[in-house]
Amino acid sequence: MKWDEFFVTGEPMIYAAMVSIVLVSIAIPVGLTYFKKWGYLWRHWLTTVDHKKIGVMYIIAALLMLFRGGVDALLMRAQTAIPDNGLLDGQHYNEIFTTHGIIMILFMAMPFIIGLMNVVIPLQIGARDVAFPRLNAVSFWLFFFGAMLLNISFVIGGSPDAGWTAYFPLASVEFSPTVGNNYYSLALQIAGIGTLMTGINFLVTILKMRAPGMKLMKMPMFTWSILITSIIIVFAFPVLTVALALMMLDRQFGTQFFAMQNGGMDMLWANLFWVWGHPEVYIVILPAFGIYSEIIATFAKKNLYGYKSMVYSMVAISLLSFLVWVHHFYTMGHGVMVNSVFSITTMAIAIPTGVKIFNWLFTLRKGKISFTTPMLYSLAFIPIFTIGGVTGVMLAMASADYQYHNTMFLVAHFHYVLIPGTVFAVIAGFHYWFPKLFGFKLNERLGKWSFWFIAISFNVTFFPLFILGLNGMTRRMYTYSESTGYGPLNMLSMVGALGLTIGFILLVYNIYWSTRYQPREVTGDPWDARSLEWSTPSPVPEYNFAKVPVIDTLDAFWYSKKEGKPLTDEDDYEPIHMPNNNGQPFIMGVFFFFFGFFMVFSWWIPAIIAGLFILGTMAYRSFEKDHGHYISVGEIERTENALRGEKE
Amino acid sequence: MKQLFPVPHVIGFVSSLLLSLIALIVVKFHLSFTMGMTILGVTALIQAALQLFLFMHVNENENKSALLTNIGYALFVGLVTIFGTLFAMMWGYQMI
Amino acid sequence: MKIDHSLPLEYSTEENRLKILGFWIFLGAEIVLFSTLFAVYFTLQHNVGNGPAGSHIFELTPVMIETIVLLSSSFTIGLGVHAMRLGNKKAMMTFFGITLLLGLVFLGVEITEFVTYIHEGATMQTSAFLSALFTLLGTHGMHVTFGLLWGSAILMQVKKRGLTPETANKSFIFSLYWHFLDVVWIFIFSFVYLKGMM
Repeated sequence: MKWDEFFVTGEPMIYAAMVSIVLVSIAIPVGLTYFKKWGYLWRHWLTTVDHKKIGVMYIIAALLMLFRGGVDALLMRAQTAIPDNGLLDGQHYNEIFTTHGIIMILFMAMPFIIGLMNVVIPLQIGARDVAFPRLNAVSFWLFFFGAMLLNISFVIGGSPDAGWTAYFPLASVEFSPTVGNNYYSLALQIAGIGTLMTGINFLVTILKMRAPGMKLMKMPMFTWSILITSIIIVFAFPVLTVALALMMLDRQFGTQFFAMQNGGMDMLWANLFWVWGHPEVYIVILPAFGIYSEIIATFAKKNLYGYKSMVYSMVAISLLSFLVWVHHFYTMGHGVMVNSVFSITTMAIAIPTGVKIFNWLFTLRKGKISFTTPMLYSLAFIPIFTIGGVTGVMLAMASADYQYHNTMFLVAHFHYVLIPGTVFAVIAGFHYWFPKLFGFKLNERLGKWSFWFIAISFNVTFFPLFILGLNGMTRRMYTYSESTGYGPLNMLSMVGALGLTIGFILLVYNIYWSTRYQPREVTGDPWDARSLEWSTPSPVPEYNFAKVPVIDTLDAFWYSKKEGKPLTDEDDYEPIHMPNNNGQPFIMGVFFFFFGFFMVFSWWIPAIIAGLFILGTMAYRSFEKDHGHYISVGEIERTENALRGEKE
Repeated sequence: MKQLFPVPHVIGFVSSLLLSLIALIVVKFHLSFTMGMTILGVTALIQAALQLFLFMHVNENENKSALLTNIGYALFVGLVTIFGTLFAMMWGYQMI
Repeated sequence: MKIDHSLPLEYSTEENRLKILGFWIFLGAEIVLFSTLFAVYFTLQHNVGNGPAGSHIFELTPVMIETIVLLSSSFTIGLGVHAMRLGNKKAMMTFFGITLLLGLVFLGVEITEFVTYIHEGATMQTSAFLSALFTLLGTHGMHVTFGLLWGSAILMQVKKRGLTPETANKSFIFSLYWHFLDVVWIFIFSFVYLKGMM
């Protein structure tokens, strides 16, 4: 392989990206050395097994990926803003919409949600950590290095360019000869294994580590949503594992699974992809439902309406989510029977979702609503998401779908579902739980400004796409002629995209501003909220709860505040057992990165060596003796006194 | 020595060998497709159950209901994947 | 670390109980993984292209050997766990050792079988049917291979550290893994080989 094939060449934007990557990769080590932060970074972050810090790292990574995916989106909107635009060529446009999809779903939405669940779940159920803290760190580093592997593709070797769904035969070596789709199969595989482990970890955590007295039906709704999400992760991700492995075998080992000769079946890829892909949609949407349930109940100052129906509807969604995948390719040409069956299951899924919408509305009814930033996002979610849901039912009708399939109408639909659903939720959750993590609120005024920019611009960006789609504009076309008449609405959409950009810049500026100027928050419960995480001091000490609370009802913390009886007697502390930090997960992630990288380029010998190193880290883990450490009573007393003030 | 070979384990082992031999019927005799698949399905399921309840001690776990729900869910998703894929890619494809 | 002596060693600490539950859930994920491979195999099994069909290449003898060997290994590891509960370290190690040896025999027969197929011109690249066959069998075989490495590591730890809550827990979890591979094999035996020869 020649050097000019190894590095992507010929595009000024790519050169600019390369320069900035080099500058950043120089700046980070120089900065760390200059400020003498290497040790701090290693001891407190890279080797950590603390669920709160791992959660923070997930969220930081997700914000970085939001930036990357957002730039992709802006470039796409800019390219299509005017007819016959020459900003990007066809190949570059293909790469950009492909990476936009992959990054936004797998490396932005998922880690943001996993970050929030890492931070919140143990606190919400009264646990001191997750079930397998070490595995949790492994999960994070696999996700992180998987994401990095995909991200270097656009300067080294070329990005995947067959869409985020990577349909065969387009994604085969014959039609996508660059290593781009090798990156796809390997980076997603590595990150996917990490996600699967997260699912197992949280399932065990929620099933086994709840505070005494917290029966399943007394769990906060966010915990419920993560329990269901973890179940979907555990049973959906293996399908992706297989699909990606088959893709790798087809592209790099000459097998015939999705080939067009020798008995291969190209649409089998689409089938497998969506067997995982549709449950994946619910993996990113159910936690959002959980976040909204928490926020709406908190700021309406009411119990969540219809707790049981909320739970049952999520269970129903989790089962139905595995029964609808064919609606993504109604137009493949299978028989009427197949399309009818999947049309019905798809429409059926709207029922439990509708139940949830009504529950939120009834929770709001007669509530004392306070319009904080997280609440604004939640209130905006309900109508906007409903538009997304209703257009989804339109798409669910197989015969009508022949008209909408792969048009901008579809693009508008899933952005109307995923942005108010997932993105608004993670931003709302971020504002809501931020004081718990860092000990101060984000500024409300800036938060509201950024909310209005985001909420209004979102509609300006994506509503025109519904009309464009109905007028016949297909997705993924990199340009169009003026006579189509698509120009004005695309320009409007571009204006909206700029508004969204301003909104997100305000959000980031808010983090910076608040870090410097916001007053410290001392109560630990700034929103007068309901669930257990707010009973801890902010920021939360390493061990979360000095004494494990005892629960007898849903929203026990709320009632303990109202009735003035504490959840624990705070006098007699016992030593607390905690896991030790360890660098092995990070190192394992590095080896996985190199393994993936060598595999992408089919460099077998280095790949085998990296693989052996991975096995080596596993063997090391097996033989190591690590029994954790105890935090002494004296230290707990000191910490608690410092955080809560001396007791008389 | 005798206590190292508990009777249920020995019976389980012998019956799993027997079940494998019974399954051989489908190769040795000329049976209809339905009949053959039924024999294979039944023998395989009994063997799987033997492993699960006898050797893997699924019943003795304190979270028995969670374990069985877990396996049930996995089988639900697994069977939906198998039969759904066959339905979408082959059977339904040939139907009008 | 609180040790509950009323329970078998492998369940005796809270951490151990979490690990066993976690591993069961992992096996749930493995069920879906193999189901997906079966789905692919069933979909492609008649798509033989220019290559041979299953009925042409499958042979009963090696398959029966593999089946009996794997069933026996599942039996011996069951006895191993039983011996572990009796506190008989030596018997436990013997049974686990026999299990791993049987696993090795299984792997040897399977590799010979693959070599035979390839000599008959039935490679992974020949047709979609063979791609699916090799991938399904290969994934199972890789699991067995990994099991051999994992099991050896555990045996070494039991030898060095004795039967502690930790090593007992690892051995028990390993036995779950091994039984699971046996279950998968039963389905391969029935629905790939026997069905293919029907």
